[in-house]
Amino acid sequence: MTVGLNAFLIVAGLLFAIGLLGVLIRKNTLVIYMSLELMLNAVNVALVAFSRYNGTMDGNLFVFFIITVAAAEVAVGLAIIVALFRKRQSVMVDNLNALSR
Amino acid sequence: MADILFYVFAAATLISALLMVLSPNAVNGAIFMIVSFVSTAALFVLLEAYFLAVIQILVYAGAVMVLFLFIIMLLDVERDDGNYLKDKLSLAASIAGFSLVAILIVSAFAGGQHLPETALLPVAENPVGEGAGLEFTTSAKSFGYSLFTKYMLPFQVTGFLLLAAMIGVIVVSKKHEGEVGK
Amino acid sequence: MTATQSLLIVLLAPLFSAVVIALFLRRAGKIASVISVATAGLIFAAAVAAVQAAGGAIVHDSWSWLTFGGFEVSMGFFLDDVSATMMLMVTFVGFLIHLFSLGYMADDSSPARYFGGLSIFMFSMLGIVLADNLIMIFVFWELVGFSSYMLIGHYMTKPAAAAAQKKAFIVNRIGDLGFVVGIAYAYWHFGTTDLEVMGQLVGANPALINASIAALLMCGFIGKSAQFPLHVWLPDAMAGPTPVSALIHAATMVAAGGYFLIRIEYLFPPEVLSIILWLGVFGAVYAGFCAYARRDIKQILAYSTLSQLGYIGAAFGLGYPGIALFHLITHAFFKALLFLGAGSVIHGCHHEQDIFKMGGLWKKMPITALTFLIGILALCGVYGFSGYYSKDAILIAGGLHNSPVAILLTFGALLTAGYMGRLFWVVFFGKANSEAASHAKESPVVMAVPLIILAVLSVAGGWLGYWPDALGETIKADKYELKNIAGYDAMHHKVVLLGTAAWVIGLLGSFFFYGRGAREDRLEKTAGPIYRFLQNRLWFDEVYNFYVTRIQQGFANVLQLVDVILIKGVLVRGSAGIVGLVGMCSRSLHVGNIHGYVYWFLAGLILLWVTAIGILG
Repeated sequence: MTVGLNAFLIVAGLLFAIGLLGVLIRKNTLVIYMSLELMLNAVNVALVAFSRYNGTMDGNLFVFFIITVAAAEVAVGLAIIVALFRKRQSVMVDNLNALSR
Repeated sequence: MADILFYVFAAATLISALLMVLSPNAVNGAIFMIVSFVSTAALFVLLEAYFLAVIQILVYAGAVMVLFLFIIMLLDVERDDGNYLKDKLSLAASIAGFSLVAILIVSAFAGGQHLPETALLPVAENPVGEGAGLEFTTSAKSFGYSLFTKYMLPFQVTGFLLLAAMIGVIVVSKKHEGEVGK
Repeated sequence: MTATQSLLIVLLAPLFSAVVIALFLRRAGKIASVISVATAGLIFAAAVAAVQAAGGAIVHDSWSWLTFGGFEVSMGFFLDDVSATMMLMVTFVGFLIHLFSLGYMADDSSPARYFGGLSIFMFSMLGIVLADNLIMIFVFWELVGFSSYMLIGHYMTKPAAAAAQKKAFIVNRIGDLGFVVGIAYAYWHFGTTDLEVMGQLVGANPALINASIAALLMCGFIGKSAQFPLHVWLPDAMAGPTPVSALIHAATMVAAGGYFLIRIEYLFPPEVLSIILWLGVFGAVYAGFCAYARRDIKQILAYSTLSQLGYIGAAFGLGYPGIALFHLITHAFFKALLFLGAGSVIHGCHHEQDIFKMGGLWKKMPITALTFLIGILALCGVYGFSGYYSKDAILIAGGLHNSPVAILLTFGALLTAGYMGRLFWVVFFGKANSEAASHAKESPVVMAVPLIILAVLSVAGGWLGYWPDALGETIKADKYELKNIAGYDAMHHKVVLLGTAAWVIGLLGSFFFYGRGAREDRLEKTAGPIYRFLQNRLWFDEVYNFYVTRIQQGFANVLQLVDVILIKGVLVRGSAGIVGLVGMCSRSLHVGNIHGYVYWFLAGLILLWVTAIGILG
């Protein structure tokens, strides 16, 4: 394969930007959360690319940990969203605002 | 051949991610997300990180996204209207996000200081053993080897983290008095 | 009873008396007066005992009062011949004036306040006399200023008294500014403010004398002893009761400045001495002129005091502190006598103070008149009276060292005899010029006895040969030094001749010019412009008033503007405003909107990234 490191980094960067875009413009809490996962995924891609091109295993191992932690985080986060839904009967961010302007 | 595969899967990843962000229906978004994750796994395969590719599909696409789908369907969220860029703030957000990437790319390629293109070196099948450092290998054995020598502490801590997450989920999702469930 | 114990009684008994009067005896005027007078007598006895116990040796005891690390302030007694002389004079004259006040203030509305004030004054004055270091002197200096303030304003209902007490205190404070800076400088320069130690240091190393320290300490003297240019408070201070004028503004407090100079005479280089000399000479002549345009008997005596304080300053400026002390002591006797005599006259004429409304009092108040005459003769320096010996010494010293000074001071003696003669002939001779004067009668015994005693002292006080050995050592030393200068005898004869001519011409001239018991001032009638010019006293009060109301007030207004706009507006409100602004900006972070938080997150991320790249350096 002649594709270089830079191509993978560009992919990771674009994925990160798309995830950030999702966080910023969507109002549905769950979609925001999924965009966050996209950002984590972008980091994973970058790490594996660096690891391969440097010839070490450290990057891969770090990705392993990231995946583990992300899974745990999703579980807890979704539990919180469900609890929030029980309280506010909505998952739209506008309706969750308790601080009055 | 590998190059073409790279471009195909990279495009798949990016386009499905974009569609996920822009789709009004949350369930559709989740499905697009799964496609994105699978494409990422394919990218991992192209980078010869086979173990990680499988883990990605198993954990991310298989467990995390399924959980997401459960919750979306449980909460029965309504359709968004598809008009996201209606206020100036959202426009600013988009511009901010993409200019960030643009700067990143430009700085990656501009100037004479960017890293030279490294070629992919051939890799060994099995880990070499003690005193050889962490060489890149394609076997899963090297994962186990590193986890139990160099990364012992993070490994144990992650175990505790999972325990804490499990307990946390149970506590948070308990029903309290006077709450309306769905 | 050791000397130190007696000195403690001398210092603390009046304080105790004042405290008891202030706390318990505000309404009981009679008891308060008795306690105060008894205390005054007690401290005179204790002072005599202390001098006897010391037996001519120097007594120097001190107790530490405050200690901050290496800096120590102590309080103590330093009894040498100078302070012994001064202490005996202050306690004795003070006792006599206390006695006089019993009679004078008999019909006053609040005698307890008056006698309490007298007691606290005795405490403060004796503190200055006995102090052994500059800081202690300064503490009691301020206390004396406070006592003077309280006593000048005794007649609370008169606005003139209130204005006068403020003026006295404020003008004093101006001098004290230089004083306190001088004390700090002296401490920094010598490492100590103890009088004896500083004297030893300077004696061992004359190069330690510093003109700035001397000039700054001189400022305290200028304020307290009413030298030009801070003389303006003394004539106004006559608004207080007459015994107060006698005690404070003639005999003791104004002399405290001169006494202080004598205590630190080793610190003075020739340049500062010449400043003091010329200030004194100017004051002596200027006050002499001003007294001619005054009608109030106390004001005339006040200007006479100003003039004599100028003589004391001149004596010190010529380099003879002992002679200055001598004149200070004799002046205390005859000036207290004159003021008490004036008080007797005022009391007899039912508080009339204009001399042209008196007249013919020689027949009606013989004791007062005779003692007053003795006082005048002593003041004019008639041969044999106490004033002669001290004034004569000053004129001789002037003649031998600085002839223009001697000429001016002799002219001042001529002026003195002139206006005192004017006072005497107008008040005591001729016919009574008002109802009150025609019904005058002699004062009661309690007021007459102090007059007689002071008259005796005014005569005999100058006969140095009869002074006890423990006192007057410094005075005798200076006189001896003067006698041994070449040309002393010739100068002595010249001075006696000129001095006698001065007082004879003055007294006789005023007799013929003003006439006996005159109803109106002849100078005013015949030479109106001159009289009015003298009345204006060179416009010092007007100049100071202009300065205070225009310049100082203007400056104060500018400062107030700075305070309101700059400090209150910009700094205080401004900084509060900035804090408020920061608070409002921080509040905008907490929008509750998740997207807002993400934007802030992004901003922080960009900032971190930019810093990491190194754009910001």
